[in-house]
Amino acid sequence: MTQENIPGAAPSLARLVQELNRLPGIGPKSAQRLAYYIIRLPDEEAYALADAVTSSKQNIVFCEECQNLTDASPCPVCADPRRDRSMLCVVEDPLDVLAMERTRSYRGLYHVLHGVISPINGIGPDQLKLKELFTRLARPELAELVVATNPTLEGEATAMYIRRHQGRDDLRITHLARGLPVGGSLEYTDETTLTRAFQGRQEI
Amino acid sequence: MAPPRTYRCEAIILSYTPLGEADLLVSMYTRQQGKIRAVAKGARRSTSKLVGHLEPLTAVKMSMAHGRNMDVISQAEVAESFAELKEDLTAITKGLYLAELVDGFGAEDSANPELFQLMIDTLRAVEADPGSDMPLRCFEFHLLQVSGLMPELYHCVECRRELEPDAHRFSPNVGGTLCLDCNPDDAHLRPLSLRALKVLRLFDRSSIAEACRLPIDDSLAEELKSLLATTVGYWLGKEIRSNSFLERLHKESLFEVYI
Repeated sequence: MTQENIPGAAPSLARLVQELNRLPGIGPKSAQRLAYYIIRLPDEEAYALADAVTSSKQNIVFCEECQNLTDASPCPVCADPRRDRSMLCVVEDPLDVLAMERTRSYRGLYHVLHGVISPINGIGPDQLKLKELFTRLARPELAELVVATNPTLEGEATAMYIRRHQGRDDLRITHLARGLPVGGSLEYTDETTLTRAFQGRQEI
Repeated sequence: MAPPRTYRCEAIILSYTPLGEADLLVSMYTRQQGKIRAVAKGARRSTSKLVGHLEPLTAVKMSMAHGRNMDVISQAEVAESFAELKEDLTAITKGLYLAELVDGFGAEDSANPELFQLMIDTLRAVEADPGSDMPLRCFEFHLLQVSGLMPELYHCVECRRELEPDAHRFSPNVGGTLCLDCNPDDAHLRPLSLRALKVLRLFDRSSIAEACRLPIDDSLAEELKSLLATTVGYWLGKEIRSNSFLERLHKESLFEVYI
């Protein structure tokens, strides 16, 4: 959207609409609504939003260890001496680390790939943080690699690529269990998921 | 009378992208309507009844509802999951290469049941023999055929004389094979061996399963790959993105054999 497209709007407001319109999932109408909402906010709230955007862009860096986004490298998880350094969990996205941490059941380290191998979108191993992962895998204290990419075609392809290139014979490589979600229904489950759930059945 | 609000179709899922908070925008090739894009509401939630049926390279029976802008997937049931194909990295990449070509060549809302069946047959052939590149070569050839771009293989496209059993030349730009006497000014002109011409003619009269049984040596395989990939790329008019990862896997497998 250009500024000429919003007749009657002040140029600075049109610019705000234009910038908001660039965000994923925000169309022109939503961008206008958000822009007018921001303008009507009390000064301190609007400046706090602007400051949050500016400081996150200025301060956020990749953690030198896990490649997660952090204010200071190494990130709090990698710097925590209580974390189990024999386990490394590979995830696609920083949001996946938050999801795993919410479970409070995993105490090892992470590695964030920032995407998955997606041949159809031209994303290969070189566009991901895979080189950094393979460097970390050489550490002798590491005993288990948990590949927690999403159970999608591209997530599975990435997991296969990691397994093929990890280069250690003594490393235990696991992936998260596939099966039925809590609250799900057998009747509507696809055959692949149900087969995997059956293969991974457990004693009760 | 108003058209019915819902309809059923057979589809192969090509790809999907996230849409909004929890929806997916699914791109698929259907037997009945050609390429369509439809919304799967709430499919990214872990308890979604749809998501497991919508993975790329899955043949699905769909129930769809006409939407204001885009159709909405109301039900989906896996017809053929190609589960074994999805357990092999090379086979997955080959499948995605096929999906990219079908996405490029398939027209929206224009049925081409031959192209749909070609995709299904080729996925079966890749699943049966993930290491062979022949299914891809057959697919590329038949893709041109079912898209109305079949190259001429029996007569010179310039002088129309029947081709002698000899080496010739080929150009996608002029529509196929040229005899050695004709010399059009064409940047896409390339040599075509008699062996490669014979394989192309065999593709023309065989099914994918039959053609895949043909044993060919490495140099002939390279010639066919280069010729068909160039021709498909010429008509597509853009880079085939999955090709670079496929090439990378191919080189790595050669390296593994070498060591």
